[in-house]
Amino acid sequence: MATKKEEKQFEKERKQANKERMARMKEEGLDKYFTPEQISYNRRKRAIAAIWPVFRFLILFGLAFVVMYPLMYMISTAFRPNEQMNDPSIVWLPKSLTLDNIKQTATVMKVDYWDSADPFENTLLNTVVINVLSSILQVVTCSITGYGFARFKFKGRGLLFGIVILMIIVPPQITSIPLYLQYAYFKLFGIIPLYSGGEPVSIINSGLTMYLPALFANGIKAGLFIYIFRQFFRGLPKELEDAAYLDGCGPFETYVRIMVPNAKTSFLTVFLFSIVWYWNDFYVSSSFFTDNNTIALMLKNLDANLQQQLFDGQTVSVRQIIVWLESGCLIAIVPLLVMYTFLQKYFIEGVERSGLTGM
Amino acid sequence: MSEMEKNLENEEEILTDEAKEEAVAQVEDASEVSAEESTEAEETEDTQLDENESDDEADSEEISVAAAVPVKQKGLKIPYERRKALYGYGFIAWWFLGSLYFFVAPLIQSLIYSFHDTKIVTGGMQLSNLGFQNYYNAFRKDQYYSPALVSTLKDTLINTPLILVFSIFIAVVLNQKFKGRTAARAIFFLPVIIATGPVIDIINGNMSTSGYSGGSEQFSTMFETDLVDQLLTFLGVYNISDSLTTVISDLTSDIMNLIWKCGIQILLFLSALQGIPYSAKEAASMEGATSWEYFWKITLPYISPMIIASLVYTIVDSFVDPSNEVMTLVLNQSKQWEHGYSAAMAWAYFAIVGVVLAIVMAIVNRFVYYEVD
Repeated sequence: MATKKEEKQFEKERKQANKERMARMKEEGLDKYFTPEQISYNRRKRAIAAIWPVFRFLILFGLAFVVMYPLMYMISTAFRPNEQMNDPSIVWLPKSLTLDNIKQTATVMKVDYWDSADPFENTLLNTVVINVLSSILQVVTCSITGYGFARFKFKGRGLLFGIVILMIIVPPQITSIPLYLQYAYFKLFGIIPLYSGGEPVSIINSGLTMYLPALFANGIKAGLFIYIFRQFFRGLPKELEDAAYLDGCGPFETYVRIMVPNAKTSFLTVFLFSIVWYWNDFYVSSSFFTDNNTIALMLKNLDANLQQQLFDGQTVSVRQIIVWLESGCLIAIVPLLVMYTFLQKYFIEGVERSGLTGM
Repeated sequence: MSEMEKNLENEEEILTDEAKEEAVAQVEDASEVSAEESTEAEETEDTQLDENESDDEADSEEISVAAAVPVKQKGLKIPYERRKALYGYGFIAWWFLGSLYFFVAPLIQSLIYSFHDTKIVTGGMQLSNLGFQNYYNAFRKDQYYSPALVSTLKDTLINTPLILVFSIFIAVVLNQKFKGRTAARAIFFLPVIIATGPVIDIINGNMSTSGYSGGSEQFSTMFETDLVDQLLTFLGVYNISDSLTTVISDLTSDIMNLIWKCGIQILLFLSALQGIPYSAKEAASMEGATSWEYFWKITLPYISPMIIASLVYTIVDSFVDPSNEVMTLVLNQSKQWEHGYSAAMAWAYFAIVGVVLAIVMAIVNRFVYYEVD
């Protein structure tokens, strides 16, 4: 097998040879070698090959601009003193830069709140802990479930998989109210009252409302993750399993020692997606948290919090508020963006390899 | 509506049946083993051990038995398959327990709410039966529900094909080889990271209050002149120009939202495009296919299974988007503690979404090309 470098070299040589051959053929007259249709086909192909890159660049550049526009706007306004929002001579570049907006917004969002008594008052820390813990739990349990669906034949598999599909399709808005009641009077089929003396416990406002569903492969978008894992595990060759069986592995050992190492990329992809969705989720967390601070909740309430804590009853024009709102957005997405820049390879290639193709 | 309930109930029943069957299977296993016992007493002890021990050792032991007495292999084969099925149940049991508690129970509960008038009291929900009154109210008395339903359906109908066509186009472009491809892919996938959160609301809000036109609106201005109208008048077509202009300017001014919704779909199509075998491309270029023909005859059939997946994803995504009109209504109702009514609205909506999905799937499935291995 040739390495990638060598392959590139071959490609180059091939092109060179082709060019030389074409030049030779041209000298002798092309009609000798090609039919008229072939000549016109080749000519058209060359013309397209020359023009298309220009068009492609224009299209991609224009659309990339539309995608990047809000981000550029965010950066441009977040560091701008708020008086300059009303200056019509400023479009992109502010006359002076300031960090005040970021600092003030960070205080309102409690991102820079460091109190040794309760470190989880800090929004950033709290969010990161909830995200990472739930995502890890979710990835592990979803992969086990996906493996069960992919590699074992049992009665009712189709029907049970129907529940997974339902989990993808049913929006969380439908189940959130009954779930709230279940959490507020948490009995877990009557098990909890046995320990707490007959009284149901409320787990509203605690991280448990996130961890418990994730622990049972029912967290945010769990259906989709089970689906991804199932597709991936289905794509692995059956011989792997047979070989493991012959070497004396039981099904669970096969899963841990053979399948998991093979599924590394897909684990990473699902983990990253899980982090992103937990980070951005505000519907589920706003249903079950009333004062448990996460970044998304803080951002959702940023406008009200700003009025209350920073402006103190003064009226600030709509255009000036943008400065603080965009700083809030920047604070909220910078951790994701940093993660994305380093791991974007896994986001994009991971899905390609994780077997989603076989849908 | 009641049909859906019935379906759910059926499902439950079948599930319990499943459990029974499993039990029966186990009993059968045992009886089979005892039948073997009568013929070969020594071996069966080992197999019984296998049945009882839950985990890994069982298999290795079985291997040793099988290796020692090859004649026995045939007899062991059926129990192994069945045991594998049991392991299958074991693998999904954890999830199944969880989904009973965290998904199925709340789902059924909300269906029950939709037939009742609800009142929050300490310790739970007080229900009083209303029958189909909630559904009747939603469709006949509520002045916002039906129009919202229609407009959401219309939006989805217009946006879904646009999103699909657009993301196929972008995916095809991004699949070509050129300098800076990685960067371009990263940019087009960026919306997935950002657009799922509350950030997008703020961005959209700021764009509308920022005073000068956003990136997208600059494109639309060229359509706001009467050029289209003049062209159509010149061609002798009258009176449709107004609505046409509106549609075109709507589309172009919405281009930002369009692109921001395309991230996942672009990704799905990219992965499908990479699954097209190189031999197909070679064959096409040998036969002298232009890239236009190549797209219609090779690319599209190959990625058609993924079109279904993206279609379903797009439709579901746009239907459950919390910012669409029906969802806003539903959420508002539950904010006003009208949980029964809100559940009824949500379930009616959900049923309609299900029907739409089924119809779309049935139609599109006819045109899908599956490669037979």
